[in-house]
Amino acid sequence: MDNAIMIGLTRQMTLRRGMDVIANNIANAETAGFKAESLLLENQPARIAEHSDGPSDLQYVNTWGMGRDFSQGAMEFTGRPFDVAIEGDGFFAVESNGREQYTRDGRFHTDNQGQLVASDGALVLDADTRGPILLDTNAANTTIVDGGAVMQDGVQVGRIGVFEIANRSAMTKEGNGRYTLPASDNPDDAPQAMFDPVVRQGFVESSNVQSIVEITDMMSIMRSYQSVSKFLKDAEDLNQRAIERLGRVS
Amino acid sequence: MRALTTAASGMQAQQMNVEVISNNLANMNTTGFKRQRAEFQDLIYQNVQAMGMNSSDAGTIVPTGVQVGLGVQASSIYRITEQGSLNNTGNPFDLAISGRGFFRIQMPDGSDAYTRAGNFAISAEGQIVTADGYPVAPGIAIPQDSREVSINSQGQVQALIDGQTEPQTVGQLELATFFNEGGLEAIGDNLFLESAASGAANVGTPDSPGYGAVMQGYVESANVNAVSEITALIQAQRAYEMNARVITAADEMLAASSNLR
Repeated sequence: MDNAIMIGLTRQMTLRRGMDVIANNIANAETAGFKAESLLLENQPARIAEHSDGPSDLQYVNTWGMGRDFSQGAMEFTGRPFDVAIEGDGFFAVESNGREQYTRDGRFHTDNQGQLVASDGALVLDADTRGPILLDTNAANTTIVDGGAVMQDGVQVGRIGVFEIANRSAMTKEGNGRYTLPASDNPDDAPQAMFDPVVRQGFVESSNVQSIVEITDMMSIMRSYQSVSKFLKDAEDLNQRAIERLGRVS
Repeated sequence: MRALTTAASGMQAQQMNVEVISNNLANMNTTGFKRQRAEFQDLIYQNVQAMGMNSSDAGTIVPTGVQVGLGVQASSIYRITEQGSLNNTGNPFDLAISGRGFFRIQMPDGSDAYTRAGNFAISAEGQIVTADGYPVAPGIAIPQDSREVSINSQGQVQALIDGQTEPQTVGQLELATFFNEGGLEAIGDNLFLESAASGAANVGTPDSPGYGAVMQGYVESANVNAVSEITALIQAQRAYEMNARVITAADEMLAASSNLR
């Protein structure tokens, strides 16, 4: 195969993957706590097999990683007492199947025992005890103050944990707005409960996907894909004409 | 091409969002209605290049990896049990709850249902019943010759009987609260059933700690806010359109490929 066609092909493969990422961003444009992603690409220099007189710096393209945009999403007011949003850094920790998972989605509920849970029933962890937060549902009012402390009728019943994660790019996305951290030998990588987080009660952090940016990126990906297709066709035409002309017997 | 199914999941989610919003708007004038909200979560991720993999023999690892998400799903549609505004009707059997709690209703099959809609009436036997004729628990009978019925904030029902000067206590209303009100199962007709998610009903006296007060002559209107519903509707519609655009774009990319030959 011709180098031109192979290079075009690598570009198209990455463009498709980029399109998948954009489609996921747009599909989650209304998902609370969702963080937009973008595909990072790298050049892969390749040596040419036979030609000694051909171009010497062929560059293939390949995906290299995901860029995650952890910037703050817009704060949407709901007025619900168990909707909490983090302003600034940090993640809520929830326990699901005995594993700690981290999320920015603070739309919590109480379960049938009065524990604070996420929408799938995963327990929301306390900052100090790293255990569940038990609420008294007969309390007249429940307030969550800016530092994350849950106050019921003036008594603190727990503190919603907001954890600082040093190496955010190492987190694995689990779906459901959750991240997990891989096991690490480095004690600095372990999530630490933040000393003075900023937690807002009655707010939901909406997704930080910027629709305009995504749609523009989508159009540019689509057009690039089409022009690579055009270029592949031209390269092939060139081959075909060469075969016809060189192979003519007269 | 994953983009096609991803965008389709986005369109489905927004469609569900619009369905929930339209149900809220349709029930804007339903007594005791609590608005709902659709909640979304991202779907699972496909690992194209796992983070933490070795990228060289020297032990360097891939710092971020490539994980491609597969779209969005509805995770729950929950009820926002915020207090609705109280409207004065002057009808003595219109009862509203100011605060937490539900009226307990005896269903025809003997089971219990719960409601916030207190637009009650009197049955032919003098019992306090719902608009459908189901008795409000515990059954309270109003004497036939009573002139006036008053219900105080603690739910005590007093009747002033013709010819007497002192009002007589004829019954005591109860309220039920739940650990998780959002987990109640709606069965229509403004009624809810207890479920495993809501926890068992805690029955108590109105206006005691943890229970709301009963307001006679008022009904609780729906807690739907038209402005925020319409804004949510606009957002949902635009999000739907954008997902449709992704499908068009993905389709054009596929067309470009298939037109190569």
